[in-house]
Amino acid sequence: MSSPTSTGAVIEVRGLSKRFGSIEAVRGLDFSVVPGRVTGFLGPNGAGKTTTLRMLLGLVTPTAGTATIFGRRYAELADPVRHVGAVLEATSFHPARRARQHLKMMTLASGIAESRIDEVLGLVGLADSAQRRVGGFSLGMRQRLELAGALLGDPDVLILDEPSNGLDPQGIAWLREFLRHLAAQGRTILVSSHLLAEMAQTVDDVVIVSGGQLRAQGPLATLSAQAHSSMRIRTPEVPRLLGVLAAAGFPARQSATDTVMADGATPEALGPVLAANQIVLYELAHEGTDLESMFLSLTGPVAGAPGGGQVPPPTPVPQRPLGPPPGYAAPPPPPQGPVPPGPVPQ
Amino acid sequence: MIRVIRAELLKLRTTPGPWVVVGVTVLLTALGIITAFLVSFGNHVHFVAPVAEHRLRRLVGSGYTGEGVWMAAIIGVLCITGEYRHKVITTSLLLTPRRPELLVAKAVASVVWGIALGVVSLLFVGALGIPLLVSQGGSVSALFGQAGAVIPGLLGAFALLALFGLGFGTLIKNQVAGVLAILGIAFLIEPIITGLLPQVGRWLPSDAASAVAGGIARGNQTSYLLSWWLGVLVLAAWGIVPTVLGYFTTFRRDVT
Repeated sequence: MSSPTSTGAVIEVRGLSKRFGSIEAVRGLDFSVVPGRVTGFLGPNGAGKTTTLRMLLGLVTPTAGTATIFGRRYAELADPVRHVGAVLEATSFHPARRARQHLKMMTLASGIAESRIDEVLGLVGLADSAQRRVGGFSLGMRQRLELAGALLGDPDVLILDEPSNGLDPQGIAWLREFLRHLAAQGRTILVSSHLLAEMAQTVDDVVIVSGGQLRAQGPLATLSAQAHSSMRIRTPEVPRLLGVLAAAGFPARQSATDTVMADGATPEALGPVLAANQIVLYELAHEGTDLESMFLSLTGPVAGAPGGGQVPPPTPVPQRPLGPPPGYAAPPPPPQGPVPPGPVPQ
Repeated sequence: MIRVIRAELLKLRTTPGPWVVVGVTVLLTALGIITAFLVSFGNHVHFVAPVAEHRLRRLVGSGYTGEGVWMAAIIGVLCITGEYRHKVITTSLLLTPRRPELLVAKAVASVVWGIALGVVSLLFVGALGIPLLVSQGGSVSALFGQAGAVIPGLLGAFALLALFGLGFGTLIKNQVAGVLAILGIAFLIEPIITGLLPQVGRWLPSDAASAVAGGIARGNQTSYLLSWWLGVLVLAAWGIVPTVLGYFTTFRRDVT
């Protein structure tokens, strides 16, 4: 798949910026989202994801730039909820209102047929709770009701902000399947998360932000390929190999008596170095470095910055195709614990 | 626009606040009905059927004279502040992103509820006031004779005070503060100003409402009030100006 471009994109964000007082929440963000795919909008907490989605939905006014859906600002869409469904937070209900009344209010305001109410309640598994007051709902049930509201208008575009918050593992698995199903119908799905691991099985494309700026965007497969560029080298000459790799500028470490890991290296880059130094090889192979460390290295440097952007971020990489970011040559060692769920082609 | 108004009406009737307001309106109307029967002679207060025209008008307008009319303003406050209290504003703006449209729908819904409260007060006059009148030997036909003169002004005051409440709610945003502000203006600030400077006080919401309602609560001391049509304009301005100000200061803001 080619990376999303302005042609065919349903959601377009161009030069989008938002300043809250002294805090620059979003800075010159550019990305686009194409239909028929699930796009993960990823970044650590405070990266500006929620602010960006709210600008896209007309709830927050951008300081600069544009965020459009089908080429229009949200407020310019006729009957927006028929085109765009949004799941923002599981708190925007009056606790005294019954689930059905909440959805009835939505159908009244948008002119959507009332028959859709029972359909969407069934879709999200809340049919039995239709007459219950939302105040008694668990967080997961509220999240499902929020999703039901988003689906009322049978929208072509679905925008979800951290939708798995409050869902139990079954709920998350269900949501994942559901989003895949909707994308397969040709809809445009943009879903934010601060956890890549949670999204890795769901998304086709990623837009990664940190400190209010774009870090990378493109198909997840491209990111995965780059994430898996660590090499495992088995050799009887571990000390000499480590010296050679260090001299050649490859970060490396010993992982077993006869094994060295070279992170961020490729066979094409290593081969000539090993040959030139006449290293005896037992094995040279890809090792599945997880996506998560790739993600952390992309977003890490400013992840903890107070105010989400007062610390100058590393060299910005707007509109750049996925590739190792600055500093990627020396990522933290991959975790030795359980491998996060994610495509790990060997 | 009709759709958005219908959604706003549904929002009001699916939360408990407005129904509490209906209950309080009925209680205050009962108070108005009872005071319409009270006449003091010297040190004694007597419970007698009203006969004089202005006392019959008081009975018809018990929803106004018992101060139940201020409940219309409370409805206006609830209509807008309920959005912020439970973040329903997020859903509302996703449904109706053009914010002036949403605010106008809220104004219409508030006015509809205000008029409905006025109607409730009239129905309660029928349910409690007429039996009392009959039991005290009063004339129901004499009461009906005054109804036509009272009802338009009464409903007008209910409608416009609802708009006044919406305006203050839009400015203040906070539900409790909005309700207290309305009650403070009606029962504390304005009586003091009117007591000291009636020529200033008559331009304030309560006396403007009194002018709209034909001075039914003021007995024969109505000469300082504005004419009814000026009262309508002034009271409408007390609703529209804060609503427009509130639109620019709070309602247009980012919803985060």
